Amino acid sequence: MGTLLKRHRWIAPYALLAPGILWLLVFYVYPAFQMFVASFWSGSLEKGFTFSLANYTNYTEAIDQFAPQYLRSIVYAGAATVLTFLIAYPLAYTIAFKGGRYKNVLLFLVVAPFFTSFLLRTISWKIILGDTGILLGPIKELGLLPEDFRLLATPIAVISGITYNFLPFMTLPVYVAVEKVDFRLVEAARDLYAGPWRPGGGIAGALVAGGLAAVLGIVFAWPWPILAAGAALIGGAVGWFLVSESFIRVTFPLSLPGVFAGSLLTFIPAIGDYVNAEFLGNPDTRMIGNVIQNKFLTQNDYPVASALSFTLMAAILVLVTVYARILGTEELTTTGRV
Amino acid sequence: MSDNGTTRGLPAISRRQLLAGGTMAGFAAFLAACGTGGTATQAPSASESAAPAAASAEPSATASAEAAATPSAEVNWANWTYYIDVDAKDQTKHPTLDKFTAKYGTKVNYQEVIEDNQSFFGTIKPALEAGQDTGWDVVTLTDWMASKLVRLGWVEEFNLANMPNFTANIKDVYKGLAWDPEMKHHAPWQSGMTGMGYDPTVTGELTSLSAFFTPDPRWKGKTEYLTEMRDTIGLAMLYLGLDPTNPTRADADKAVAALQKAKKEGIVRDLKGNSYAEDLKAGDAVLAMAWSGDMVQALVDKPTLKFAVGSEGGMLWTDNSMIPKGAAHKGTAELLIDFFYQPEIAAEVEAYVNYICPVKGADEAMKALDPEIAKNPLIFPPDDILARLRVFGPLSEEDEAYFNEQFAKVLGVG
Repeated sequence: MGTLLKRHRWIAPYALLAPGILWLLVFYVYPAFQMFVASFWSGSLEKGFTFSLANYTNYTEAIDQFAPQYLRSIVYAGAATVLTFLIAYPLAYTIAFKGGRYKNVLLFLVVAPFFTSFLLRTISWKIILGDTGILLGPIKELGLLPEDFRLLATPIAVISGITYNFLPFMTLPVYVAVEKVDFRLVEAARDLYAGPWRPGGGIAGALVAGGLAAVLGIVFAWPWPILAAGAALIGGAVGWFLVSESFIRVTFPLSLPGVFAGSLLTFIPAIGDYVNAEFLGNPDTRMIGNVIQNKFLTQNDYPVASALSFTLMAAILVLVTVYARILGTEELTTTGRV
Repeated sequence: MSDNGTTRGLPAISRRQLLAGGTMAGFAAFLAACGTGGTATQAPSASESAAPAAASAEPSATASAEAAATPSAEVNWANWTYYIDVDAKDQTKHPTLDKFTAKYGTKVNYQEVIEDNQSFFGTIKPALEAGQDTGWDVVTLTDWMASKLVRLGWVEEFNLANMPNFTANIKDVYKGLAWDPEMKHHAPWQSGMTGMGYDPTVTGELTSLSAFFTPDPRWKGKTEYLTEMRDTIGLAMLYLGLDPTNPTRADADKAVAALQKAKKEGIVRDLKGNSYAEDLKAGDAVLAMAWSGDMVQALVDKPTLKFAVGSEGGMLWTDNSMIPKGAAHKGTAELLIDFFYQPEIAAEVEAYVNYICPVKGADEAMKALDPEIAKNPLIFPPDDILARLRVFGPLSEEDEAYFNEQFAKVLGVG
């Protein structure tokens, strides 16, 4: 064996790759192919299915009929990705730079919710967000919210759920990237007068936060002026106290690969997620994953369900390609521009 | 002996909850369908592991059409989980089945293998298609699947001479279904009602299904429908004065229009599988389309809740025992089905299961066993309520696809 390997050195990399490739072939390529074939079926479970290329109409039907759910999935997953970024970045930054000897404990805490099942974590949100639950109950008792106000069965609950469930997928890559930043670079930048931005930073932060709130408001038709004002206030405070020129010019660019990886790890699974929409939403918040689930398991319409899945894969591929082009693909493989 | 409600098995999990949780099992049907090429994969769980060699072991015992003068050594029964009595001390023992064995000397191979109708159908379909024994002598399936099997001609006809208790004790409400008018192919095992679950402290007394379609501030935004197509469409049809025992495509359109209108008016909070019971208890919902079996348990947890069958009617769903075509022990299977139509035996099962018993006289027998259960109108509904219940009619495969597609709109996925 040893001599064989020595004589044919070229085998080694393939031998090392073999288990992974075999795994992917059996559990990804084959089922994906099977599904692709199924997307050109017509017929029914009872009478059997037949394959024909003329059944490409499965795709037109899928896209035609379910455009709203596709769009909703993209919006929800996008909103959740932005939110996870806004929450995860300060978190990762704090752990990396201020964590000290508690770094490992803090990182463990980020992952700790994963010790509970995905389903249980989501269902427990129903208890938290319940109409008279621990969050809304006291506020309603004080009379600050109308009696019929609810969070459950709304887009807010679904996006919050996705954000919560995917937070570690954003936090960990960002942490790894931020942790690698050489703090001496930041110190050098500060020496060169890249200090806190006052008052300009505050205004910039307020504008960004206000704009984000406005977009969310338009998407969900909320009374967004109030929301925008609130977000502007928070954004302003963050910009005023925390964002400095050295952060914008040094730390953030160096951590971009982590942000890129984190946003893909969040966005891609989130867009196909159906658990949050199922448990925290209602019929008006169903995502494309719910449609596929219903088509597959309730209607037994395997052809259209397969076509829907493939369309989703194609859509994700396009979105990710565009995103990668904008952020620069080399960010994925290099540790950053210096 | 029985401290009511808690010893009745594992009360937190009802048969319908399992049904909802088991949807992933439906995937098995897809995998089976992937092998469309004709290489019908032999029903894996059913005929191999669970009922091994049922057909080959004793081919001579095939009683087929003749009366079972001599019961076979074993009989194989596929049923749902938590659907028969268990011994309080030994969860693996079923006292009523032991009594059957004591009487006939037949060992009952009772397997809780049915998780949902569709995927179980997937496991027996190849054998039935090929005209072979499925390995099961009795299968217990819900109305719509039962009618499908009958329609396909995959069910043995009962020899009613073997089934005197069944012919005498089956309740009238179950008789005369379009898909089996003479009851020669199916024998109801357990039923459940679909009606209105509500919190009268918030909504006041409710008697009409119209509440589900009225934007009253007391329950607007706190009303839930069921994700089960036949229940929600059925109740909508009853509200509209249509007949769910004979559903047409035009009915589906009207029902869906009414449901969509109610959604638009903000009455409906969501459509739920079983979790409506949790929502009723938590106060997130105050009115819900509800299953009687779940409500038995919910009422224990929150006694202010109520279950009612609307004045327009309610739905009745039933899981039915049937003998699949080519079953090896047909005669014994008939004896087994009939055995559970003795009121005392039926009452014993009912003391464990929270559903509705199709057997006349079981309520009387229950009085001796547990008077509390005998009084429970959700388990032994009075005749005037039973008379208002309707069974959703059979649908052809094309019509079923149409109904499901229309209902997907109500679910928000169509």
